[in-house]
Amino acid sequence: MENLIKTLKEQIIEALNLEEITPEEINANDPIFGDNGLGLDSIDALELIVLLEKNYGIRFADPSEAKKVFGSIATIAEYVSKNRTK
Amino acid sequence: MKKQEWVGTTYGNNWMHKWLIRILKVVDLRILYVFVAMFIIPICLLVNKSGVITYRYFRKRVGYSVIKSMWSVYINHVLFSQVVIDKFAMWAGKKFDVEIDGYEYFLELANKPDGFVQLSAHIGNYEIAGYTLVAETKRFNALVFFGEKQSVVENRKKMFESTNIHMIAVRPDMGHLFEINQALSNGEIVSMSADRMLGSQKKQIIPFLKGEAQFPTGPFSVATLRGLEVIAVNVMKTGVRKYKIYVTPLYYDSTKSRKEQIESLSKSYVAELERMMSIYPTQWYNYFDIWKK
Repeated sequence: MENLIKTLKEQIIEALNLEEITPEEINANDPIFGDNGLGLDSIDALELIVLLEKNYGIRFADPSEAKKVFGSIATIAEYVSKNRTK
Repeated sequence: MKKQEWVGTTYGNNWMHKWLIRILKVVDLRILYVFVAMFIIPICLLVNKSGVITYRYFRKRVGYSVIKSMWSVYINHVLFSQVVIDKFAMWAGKKFDVEIDGYEYFLELANKPDGFVQLSAHIGNYEIAGYTLVAETKRFNALVFFGEKQSVVENRKKMFESTNIHMIAVRPDMGHLFEINQALSNGEIVSMSADRMLGSQKKQIIPFLKGEAQFPTGPFSVATLRGLEVIAVNVMKTGVRKYKIYVTPLYYDSTKSRKEQIESLSKSYVAELERMMSIYPTQWYNYFDIWKK
């Protein structure tokens, strides 16, 4: 799980151009959206959806399911480890 | 920073919209044009701040003199009222002559298996003719404002129910993003305007009409997400019942980083927007001061 969290952090930084942040600076349990965490917004959510689809073969059928999964990097990693097809 | 997001809708209430459509079924468009130009626009200019923003646009961006800028503000609002009337006239069943420049680009993309993205702007009258660019084999998805009046939503639905045109409303949750993603991965067309903040507040500063202007990042991010091809579609009014559609391919290098892709596509889009405004300077209807610091 630790490796997956590290990989996800690197992939998110690259996909979302978070150049000023290093993987070590991101707390896996911090919220992804809103001002208290990474401060991502809805467009970034779409980038994440495509990232998970391309790299792990995950396709969300329901927006509310994705909303729960995108709580933090830790919740994404947990979901990916259980549902990945790649 | 103050959130810059479009919260306006089409003027008037549902009852007024229904009556306007009934009137347009029997009355000549030109009569309504003259009535609105003489009695409605002068009042609108007195009570609405769009006149000030538009004056600044003509004075600073187009470079007109004081008198010409003031006159152009009036002309701009008259033309805007005409494109709104035309939209209702279309719902009333009236037909318009539409000429298409660059139709071959659209057909080329329509015949490929992949989906593509159509970027428009708040200039001219996209709704009256932009939806006529429909591919028989691909569903066309248009991103629209969620808070629009019920009568407008119903009329759009009625107009497009027998076609393969689908409206995606921008919603406070992420539902519309799923629909966009689904549509693009299914090889469909997604159309959205790229000159105004809608949803995401991410923006970029790009030189445009003698100044540094703010453009949303979202549409360019979505357009480049799957490495798909992108075209600009602008529909400009050229006469009482005449429109000209401009289809122009936009470029970005899908092998570059996401940041570079978004930057180069947005510059390509803005260059086309600037070309349109040099031909039709009075058809600028983005009543946000996008040059405001």
